[in-house]
Amino acid sequence: MNVRRVAAALSVPLVLAAGAAIAQSPETLAWLRKIQDATRNLSYTGTFVYQQGNKNETSRITRLAPADVERLEVLDGLPRELVRTRDTVRCYLPESKVVKVEKRTPDRSFPALLPDQLNALAQHYDISLGETRRIGGFECQGVMLTPKDNLRYGYRLYADRSTGMLVRAVTVDSAGNQVEQFTFTQLSLGHVTPEMVKSRHASANFRVEDAQAQPARLAGWSLTSELPGFHKIVELTRRLGESKPVGQVVYSDGLAAVSVFIEPLQGRGEPQRPGMASMGAIHVYTRQVANHMVTVVGEAPAASVQRIGNAVEYRRP
Amino acid sequence: MKEQISALMDGELEGRAAEEAIESLRGEGEALESWRMYHLISDGMRDSRLLSAGLTARVSERLAAEPTVLAPGRLPGRTPAQRFAYAAAASVAAIGLVSWLAFGPQQQVAKEPIAKIETPITPVTVQLTSSANDYLLAHQGFSPRVSLQGMVPYVRTVAERPGESNK
Repeated sequence: MNVRRVAAALSVPLVLAAGAAIAQSPETLAWLRKIQDATRNLSYTGTFVYQQGNKNETSRITRLAPADVERLEVLDGLPRELVRTRDTVRCYLPESKVVKVEKRTPDRSFPALLPDQLNALAQHYDISLGETRRIGGFECQGVMLTPKDNLRYGYRLYADRSTGMLVRAVTVDSAGNQVEQFTFTQLSLGHVTPEMVKSRHASANFRVEDAQAQPARLAGWSLTSELPGFHKIVELTRRLGESKPVGQVVYSDGLAAVSVFIEPLQGRGEPQRPGMASMGAIHVYTRQVANHMVTVVGEAPAASVQRIGNAVEYRRP
Repeated sequence: MKEQISALMDGELEGRAAEEAIESLRGEGEALESWRMYHLISDGMRDSRLLSAGLTARVSERLAAEPTVLAPGRLPGRTPAQRFAYAAAASVAAIGLVSWLAFGPQQQVAKEPIAKIETPITPVTVQLTSSANDYLLAHQGFSPRVSLQGMVPYVRTVAERPGESNK
């Protein structure tokens, strides 16, 4: 083996290691942690705009940190409302007088990015500090998560420099084009009372649709190949609306998540038609497998969602 | 001999010297062992998925498993023009292979291996129905993004769908 060859081969990992060290400096990871801590520990109320395609939708969100309660009201169109407590999400649909209830499954809390998971993110994303920018009256620090392949989206996060509160989050595709955006147009920190996080429908007599999620093994169902970087994080049975029990398997790369739903045909009144549907960064891909409807829902590029959907197979256990 | 094998791999031997080195690879000698070892090392350094170790055995196995075609015969019904088209396509494919061989390894060395999506057949585009919100709500609770943004992304789970109206 000649020396030049060895030298050339050895220099490459060194260059890569140096690049990686810059991309995930302690400072950038500290910023992600700061955002996460602010999301959990701050009480706030604000109005934000969700923008995707040519649509804008305004909502109000209020969090009371000491009680760990959060309330989201849609201000445009149908007046829908979501309230999240430590272990339950309630979704109020006043037009149909229904409240959908999602309790956390016994073996799993709502996802949190733990410190080691933050480090693992650097496997799939280059994490770097971006520009500082003034947004909605807040002096914000940009934190960029650029994917290392085209299987996932990139994220541009802008957080208040003093508190870490996330003021703007933009999802971008591999060409750098915006896919969707959440931006606070008004935000005030503190001064939140318990009254402000209580649903206006809390005492109304709505029909309850409980998801009844239970950890489960979905015998016979698997993926012929997983999407690189996406690992199975949970497998359960649950109901969707008034459906019979449906299987759900969730895969995640630590930031993006993709769910695979498996339900018997003729299970639902208004099934999703086979094909690809999308809203902002969310893609929904439906196909039939072994007399079941497989619906893949994920915050990932269409090709990734489709690839997971096409990998779903059933083998008689 | 080892220097000769290394030089051969690097394309630095010509004429007689190359012939000698190639000749030395016949049989299961030390030269062949070096040849395999050097390829394994170079694959390892380039982080190649298809390491050369055992490759010989794998190829032999696959060849042994191939059915033997006793009488291939002529492919029926092809006009000269079609034959030309096939030949042309084959040449293009050959150019593709050559340029991949020429540029592939350098690209791989220049940056980390990147997973690329082979573009599958584009599926039919469909509208989200009002029941799609059930899936989105069920999914959202498992998105790690919630820990950076709280409930904000949940707004997607209560979007109005076509056909729904404010009654």
